[in-house]
Amino acid sequence: MTVLNRLDWYNIARDTNWTPTYVSDKDLFPEELTCAFGLPAEAFEEYDEPYKTTYPEYVKVQREKDAGAYSVKAALERSKMYENASPGWLSVLKLHFGAIARGEYSASSAECRMVRFGRAPGMRNMATFGMMDEIRHSQIQLFFPHQYVSKDRQFDWAFKSYDTNEWAMIAARHFFDDMMVTRGAVGVGMMLTFAFETGFTNMQFLGLAADAAEAGDWSFSSLISSIQTDESRHAQIGGPLVQILVKNGKKAEAQKMVDISIWRAWKLFSILTGPVMDYYTPLEHRKQSFKEFMQEWIVGQFERSLLELGLDKPWFWDDFLREIDEQHHGMHLGVWFWRPTVWWDPAAGVSPAERQWLEEKYPGWNDTWGHCWDVITENALEGNMAKTLPETLPVVCNMCQLPINYTPGPKWTMRDFPLTHAGRDYHFCSEGCRWVFEQEPSRYKDHQSLVDRFLDGQIQPPDLGGALKFMGLSPGEMGDDALKFAWVEEVRADRIKKAS
Amino acid sequence: MSSHHISTAHLNNRVGPVLRQGALAKAVVEAAEADNPDRVIVVEDKVAYVRISTDGEMILRRTTIEEMLGQPFQMRDLEVELSSFAGRIDNAEEYIRFYFEKTF
Repeated sequence: MTVLNRLDWYNIARDTNWTPTYVSDKDLFPEELTCAFGLPAEAFEEYDEPYKTTYPEYVKVQREKDAGAYSVKAALERSKMYENASPGWLSVLKLHFGAIARGEYSASSAECRMVRFGRAPGMRNMATFGMMDEIRHSQIQLFFPHQYVSKDRQFDWAFKSYDTNEWAMIAARHFFDDMMVTRGAVGVGMMLTFAFETGFTNMQFLGLAADAAEAGDWSFSSLISSIQTDESRHAQIGGPLVQILVKNGKKAEAQKMVDISIWRAWKLFSILTGPVMDYYTPLEHRKQSFKEFMQEWIVGQFERSLLELGLDKPWFWDDFLREIDEQHHGMHLGVWFWRPTVWWDPAAGVSPAERQWLEEKYPGWNDTWGHCWDVITENALEGNMAKTLPETLPVVCNMCQLPINYTPGPKWTMRDFPLTHAGRDYHFCSEGCRWVFEQEPSRYKDHQSLVDRFLDGQIQPPDLGGALKFMGLSPGEMGDDALKFAWVEEVRADRIKKAS
Repeated sequence: MSSHHISTAHLNNRVGPVLRQGALAKAVVEAAEADNPDRVIVVEDKVAYVRISTDGEMILRRTTIEEMLGQPFQMRDLEVELSSFAGRIDNAEEYIRFYFEKTF
C-alpha cells in the first residue's frame, strides 16, 4: 500500500483553527489562559513547529522508548545495584525522585493548558504529545524508585514529598507552580518549554545520566536519558513562540518571561543538581564538575539559542556566571548542616581527596567553603556531634525559598536583598530573586516562607522537633550524613600518617 | 564546545545531535561523516550520551544511517535515542538537519 509522506498531509490534518459560531473568539481564548499579550489569532498563523510528529509515529516511538527503559530495569533488577551503590549515590536517587516525579504531573497540566488555549494549531498538536510525555515521566519515575521502598523508607518520599511542607519541597513546588501551574499557554511555552526544558532539564536528565553511567547505575542512566528524548521534542514548542512575540513587538514581554524562568531554574538547580554532581556522586564516578556541565549545556548550548531566536542575554548574566562557581557550594553546606530536615542522606563529600578535587575544579574553595568544613571536621573529630547539627531554621529567601547564603571568607560578605511591599518586609537571596518579585508582586506577595510560617506560630512546638513534625519527617526518614562520618576517619588517618 | 572560557562559550555555531549511547549513536557518527564530507565532525563521548557536532549545518540521511546500521531504519526512530541537540532542527522522512540560523 502506498502511504502519503507525512509532510504531504500533516498541515491539513493538524490545522484545527475553526471559526467559532456559538461563542466569541475572546470567550474561546480568554487572555488570562492564552497569555497572548493581546496579539490577534492571525499573528500566530505562521507558527511552524520545527520538530514534527504525528500520533501514529508518537505511539510507535514511545512504545519503543518504554520497552527500552523497562527492559534495562528488568535486566538489572538482580544486579544488586542497591546493595553495592555508595550511600551518596542512593541519596542522588532519593533527591531526584522526590523533587521531580510528582512535579511531572504539574508539567502535564501545563501542557494541557497549551493543548486547549494555545493559539496555533501546531502548538496545540505538539502540546498534546507533551501532555502525554509528562504523564509518562511521572509514572515511570514513581515506578522505578518503588522497588526500593521496602529497603529504605526515604524512597517513599518519591511520592510523599509533594504533599508535605518539607522546606526543599516548598522551594521546588514554588518554582514549578510559578512556571507550570499558574501561567497561560504562551507563558508555559516560553517559561516551561523554552527556558526550562531546552536549557536546564538537560543538566538533570543528561548530565546526571553521565554520572549515573560512570557509577554503574545503568537503570537510572537509561531512564533519565530516555525521559530527555521526550523533552527534546516537546521543548521545541517554545522556539516559534519566541520568534512570533519578537516579530510582533513583544520582545520585552518575551524576554521578561524567559529571564524569570532562567533565574528561578538556576536557583533550584543550584541545590538540586549542584550538590549531587560535586559532592554526592562518588569522586571516581564524576564525569565532569557541575560547573563544566553548566558550561556545556547552559552556556554553550542554551545561551546561544536565546540570541539565535532574537532575544538578548538576561540582564543578570554576569551574576549568573559568577554564581555558577559559588552558589551550589553554599547550598550543599546548608543542606548537609540541616540534614535532619531533608528526606535523603546528604554526603558531605569533603574527604581529603574530594577536597583536592574541589580545589582543582573551583580554585579558592579551600580558602572559602573549605574553612566552614574545617570547623565541622574538627567538631566531628572531637566527637562534638551536637555542634555539627542545627538548633534553628535557616533564613530562606522569599522568592526561591532556599537558604540565603553567600561565599564565606576573611571578611563578612553576607548580603541580604530586602524589600518592603504593602507594609510587609521581604528578604531575598539575590538581586535576581528580588527582581522577579518586583515584576509581579501580586503573584508572590501572600506566600509564606518556612520562616514566615514559624513566626506565624504554625510550627509547634517552635523548635527543631516541631519543625520536623511540620515537615512530615519521622525518624527513619530524616536525613543523616550519608557515610555516617566515615570520611572523618579518613581525615584522622591522614593526620596520624603525617604526624608519624 | 569550541570555547573553554565561560564568558565566551556561547559564541559558537556548533550544531548536531546528542544521542544516548548505543548502536544507533555509532551509526549516526559514521553517517554524519559520510553525509557531511566537507565538515569536521567532532564526537564527544560522555558514556551515557554522545555529542556529535560540527559548525553551521549537519545533515543526516535515512539511507545512510540504514547502511551504517545494517538494518532497516525509519527517520522517526532517531527520536528514541535523541536526548538533545544543538542548533535548530528540520526533521523530514528521508533526512534530518541541524542548523544554525540567527532570526533577527
